[in-house]
Formats: sequence, C-alpha cells, structure tokens
Amino acid sequence: MTMFRYAKTRLGAALLLAGTAVVPALVGVQPAAAQVFTPNAQIVQGLQTSVDDVPQVSAEALRGLAQAHMKYTGPPESRPPLAVQLDQLAQINVEIVFDLNSAMIKPESYRTLGSIADAMHNPVLLGYKFLVVGNTDATGTRELNMKLSQERSDAVVEALSTTFRVDPRRLQSVGLGEEALQDPKHPDAAINRRVQIFNVGRAGALAQQ
Amino acid sequence: MRFAGLALAAVLALAGGQLAVGPAKAQTVSYAQAAGLLAQHCGGDIMKHCRGLNLGNNAVGNCLAQNAAQLTPACAANHAGIREMTEARAAAQKQVYKTCDRDAAQFCPGLVPGDGNIVSCLLEASKVVSATCTASLVNAGYGQ
Repeated sequence: MTMFRYAKTRLGAALLLAGTAVVPALVGVQPAAAQVFTPNAQIVQGLQTSVDDVPQVSAEALRGLAQAHMKYTGPPESRPPLAVQLDQLAQINVEIVFDLNSAMIKPESYRTLGSIADAMHNPVLLGYKFLVVGNTDATGTRELNMKLSQERSDAVVEALSTTFRVDPRRLQSVGLGEEALQDPKHPDAAINRRVQIFNVGRAGALAQQ
Repeated sequence: MRFAGLALAAVLALAGGQLAVGPAKAQTVSYAQAAGLLAQHCGGDIMKHCRGLNLGNNAVGNCLAQNAAQLTPACAANHAGIREMTEARAAAQKQVYKTCDRDAAQFCPGLVPGDGNIVSCLLEASKVVSATCTASLVNAGYGQ
C-alpha cells in the first residue's frame, strides 16, 4: 500500500475564522504574501490564534466522531464531512514523510519536526495547547488507515514532547484515518495525506516539572 | 573540514550555556537546525541500521550508539555532538525560568510559574530586565 505520504506543506492556508471583524488581521497569513518568511515564522504565524472564543475541540470528541463516521459505508466521495468546526481553529498542514506502512518518521522530515517544535517554543505560542491530527488517503482498508494514522500522530507527539521538550500537557494526538479527506472527490489524492496541527486554546499555568 | 566545523559548533553551543552575558545572538542552535543536521549526516545510516525507530525517547540516538562500528564516518563523528546541540537548547530554555526568576517576579506580577506568557512578558520588558536574564533569553533562542 502506498497510502499516507503526507501532502505538501500548505502553511497557514487553512486559517479561517468565523468573525468577519477579525479578517483584516489575517491577511498576512496568506501564503502568497510578498514577504519571505522562514518556515519557522510561517508555522508560528499559521498557529497564532486571533480570537479567544474558539470552539472547544478535544482529542476524545474528535476520535469519537471519526469512529462514528466509519458507519458511512459508501464510496469516500459520498460520505458526509465530519461534523466538527475545525475550520475555525488556527491551523497548519505539514508534510511529514513516514516509512511505508509504518509509524517511522523518515529522516528527511526531521527538520520539519524541529521547526514545529521551535514554533511551539516560540514566545508567541508558548501559552497554547495543540492537537496533532494524522490523516490518510483512502487507499487500503479504513480500519488500518485509522490505526496507522493514530500511530503516526502519536510518533509526532512523542518526538515533540521528548526529543524537543514541548510540554506533553500541551499536546494531544488524534488519527482520523481516511474519515476527514481534504479532497473527497479524489479520495486517493496526495493532498489527503497530511498532518494537521491545530491551536486548541490557552494552556493555562502548568506546574513546573 | 566540515566535520571540524560541526564539532566546533557543538562546543560553542555547549559553552553558551555557561556564559552569563554574551553578544545578542543565540549561542544554542534551533531544534530545526539540529534535527536537519542529524538527517544530513545520519539519514542513510538511520534508514539502514535503525529502520522503524523514531526520534522520540531517543530511540534513534540509542540505535546509532549501539551500531557505532557500522556507521558512516560522517554520522559516527557527529551524531553525539548533534544530540548535544538539542540538549543544549533544551537546557537553555529551561534555564530561563531560573535565571529570570527575580525579573519575572518584579516585572511580570500576576503571572504564575508555568504560565507560557512569562517569556513574552520578559521580552516586552527587555529594557528593564537584568543583563543575565537577557543573556539567558537570547541563549535560549527567545531573543531578537
């Protein structure tokens, strides 16, 4: 199976907010902006949240929605979207390349992982929690895609929290398998294979460990 | 020559943790830089000797150490030093909370330890925080 090579980095492209009043503040987030950013600055910018009243999204709730979604047995393009307002969260899509049918992150993606860690340690983002979400395309069985995507998002969180010292209390991991396709009309397209990172709000004060 | 330069960078990164006041430039390298160096020098070795293992919990690092005799010269010479760069950055970031303890209490009242806003507050108060705190912030990569 050739599933789950993540899509090209599309930093900041998915950052949408419901309130029109805050839209002007987001103009600079567009990837086409003239200013050249380092990847780290792009990640920081993509993950910055401009509103405090973001929808509450927990890993458990998202996992439950994905499991429930597996009852739709038709072809991928006929299934309804996941009933969750993730679009309202500050988020980035990143390309992390895994070994075939494995949760091993290939060395070519180490630098990307380090950049995500640098962003999470950036003063602008230090006070926030993040959801790391793995997605596959629709190649292979749904059950295996679900299991593999969870193992892969777990591997990302483990590297961030141990090697790169992001406080594990700021991180949650969810695998959505093929239940939240980016491009349902092309269920096997590479764009579906992606890791998403969502800013899920303030971490609050965390006791020193 | 490249390896010598890398080793020197590692030494500088380690030495940086001990300097009380330094130039306004981070003396530790970013996680992205260190991780990129590991991939650059050891990517092939990792795929050959450590396939299936991940960076987390130092699984790849332990594997490289266990396979020391089989590694390419570039990886053998550098993987420990690269790991030290990551450790130096982590130590520098942790050190900020100790070095800047008094500054935080003085200039960031209301923020409790563990609040992610403390570093932002210290940076905003950069004109008045102590020189040692400023150096610590810079060394951790938080500086300008």
